Amino acid sequence: MEDYLPIFVLLVLGILFASLSFVGSALLAPRKKPTSAKLAPYECGIIPDREPPQRFPVRFYLVAMIFIIFDIEIVFLYPFAVIYRQFLGAFGLVEVLVFAGVVLVSFVYLVSNGALSWGPARHLRPAQPERTSASTISRVGSGPGSGADRAA
Amino acid sequence: MTALLAATPAHLTVKIAYLSILPMLALLGGALVILVWSSLLRRPLETVWITSLTVLAATAALVLSLMQYFDVIHHGAHVAIDGAIVSDGFSAFVAVLVSAAVVVAALVGDGWLQQETIRGPEFHVLVLVSASGAMVMGAANDLIVVFLGLEILSIALYVLAAFNARRRQSGEAALKYFVLGGFSSAVFLYGIALVYGSTGTTNLPQIASYLAQNYVLHNGMLLAGLALLLVGFGFKAAAVPFHLWTPDVYQGSPSPVTGFMAAVAKVGAFAALLRVFVSSFGLLRADWQPAVWVIAVASLLLGASVALVQRDIKRMLAYSSINHAGFILLGLQAGSTKGVEGSLYYLFAYSFLALGSFAVISVVGGPGDGRHGLDRYRGLARRQPWLAGALALFLVAQAGIPPTTGFWAKLEVLQAAAGAHSYALAVIAMLSAVIAGFFYLRVVVLMYSPAGATGDGAATGTIVDTVEPARAVGDEGEPVGVAPGGEAGSGAVALLEADTGESAEPLVIPGTTGIALALCAGATVVLGIYPAWLTDFAHQATLLFHP
Repeated sequence: MEDYLPIFVLLVLGILFASLSFVGSALLAPRKKPTSAKLAPYECGIIPDREPPQRFPVRFYLVAMIFIIFDIEIVFLYPFAVIYRQFLGAFGLVEVLVFAGVVLVSFVYLVSNGALSWGPARHLRPAQPERTSASTISRVGSGPGSGADRAA
Repeated sequence: MTALLAATPAHLTVKIAYLSILPMLALLGGALVILVWSSLLRRPLETVWITSLTVLAATAALVLSLMQYFDVIHHGAHVAIDGAIVSDGFSAFVAVLVSAAVVVAALVGDGWLQQETIRGPEFHVLVLVSASGAMVMGAANDLIVVFLGLEILSIALYVLAAFNARRRQSGEAALKYFVLGGFSSAVFLYGIALVYGSTGTTNLPQIASYLAQNYVLHNGMLLAGLALLLVGFGFKAAAVPFHLWTPDVYQGSPSPVTGFMAAVAKVGAFAALLRVFVSSFGLLRADWQPAVWVIAVASLLLGASVALVQRDIKRMLAYSSINHAGFILLGLQAGSTKGVEGSLYYLFAYSFLALGSFAVISVVGGPGDGRHGLDRYRGLARRQPWLAGALALFLVAQAGIPPTTGFWAKLEVLQAAAGAHSYALAVIAMLSAVIAGFFYLRVVVLMYSPAGATGDGAATGTIVDTVEPARAVGDEGEPVGVAPGGEAGSGAVALLEADTGESAEPLVIPGTTGIALALCAGATVVLGIYPAWLTDFAHQATLLFHP
């Protein structure tokens, strides 16, 4: 049980630190209400002249995904390369080729979804051709469950 | 580093018996082929092809796991890949069940994707990957491999839960599932660490032999590890103190995904739970049985009683799945071979009932998959006799009424509980089955009562109180129509009119969903009339349990 004493001490210290930080910040922090200048987004000292953009293209996530894919591949390839000659041999080579193939599949999938096309937006899924403005308006006007029916 | 490597050269290349992981490889290979094929085409691949490929891969996995089963019968169980994977009757049973569930889920998913006009291979690929995780959990012989299977299963399911990008609830469900699932994975992993700390191994048979040969004097750490493992499994299996995510996630996820989740995630979690607790920690039975007893009782009673007051059929079935989890825990609590057999049988029966019920729900939910109020089921039998008949069958089977698998499943676990002298638990289980029978049959009565019979006394009176419908309309997530004067006061009128409006709108059963429903109904009735096939299968599976 003595072996656990350091862990216990660390636990107590952790709890103490966290709770003292809260108490300390509550006691020491200046109690001034937030002003509009404080609430404004910080842009390197420049006074922002417009709202920061709320949305940014989802493509950045795809780029991040590509990074993660190759990152993971490297994480496994590097140790493989280190011990390949000594221990792994043909078996290891085949295994790592299979692994690289699987990784490549996910890359191919991402590219086919337009992860690398930075041109103007291209619609991968066609809009529903049967839903034109004319059909939608006529449906609202005369469908069986429409308001006109119900009012009658 | 070189010294370290030189010290352990023998373990660097392990002989891989590909035969014992072939069913998983079939599913994963199918997923990769679909992904590559659809990526290389210029135009999106037709869903028909994707579904056919998925069904093909799942059928291949089914055949391979049956071959594995017969191989095990003739040559005995064996471990493979340096003791990480075990190929025994139990793993073959789970593999058969999972691949059959994938066939059904792919068909239901196809119908739903057509209904929602969603294209792309992602749904089927994720289903295949997730199912392979459940298979890994069934065949895992090492706690780390159990964890790997759990993660493969869950991560794909998180994405599937968010699959309906047009519904906000779907994203909400995915986020809840992801946060709580990640949390439970961490708890589970910590349990593995504590077990490893006290036994010195994560290998399941080695844990068993360690416990057989040594008496752990200060077993606090071991029991804490065991408790954390139980918590981790409990989250995935939706057993009671860890069930809080279930109703929201089941309600928010797209209906076919919910069916898949209810079937395959439960199978994976319970398969690993049964193997770990009964075969590795069998000697600590006296320590974990009381905990499992409490969890089982809580799941049985809370699942059954809270389902009574649900107005949304998906929420109702979510609570009913909690109730079923309690029943499956009955087999674990017995801690015997008979108990494992009963639990396996129950898992098999419940998987197809859940898949079938949620297939019907995804059709009745209509385009948008958003209308799941119980009121929508009133008079369904007149509009869609086959659909209503199928749902009635699945609900009656879940209630445990004789000529179905549901009855035998309940009988098996109750026999196991009685065999282990857990009489109180068996009585509580039967009580909860009676409560549960009420809300299943209520939906059946509702479907066969005439449409628009609002406030019709005895039969439907429990659901329809004419003040509430205003809320029911609001719950459906989208405006049913432009109701004149939409104040709360005219809510009841609005509902009546909405009802007649909806009954005019035809429900289209996609062909693939029809096939899936026929498969589920066939399995429920045929295996219910000839229960010996499945009981023998489950029995054989448990005979070859210990490698």
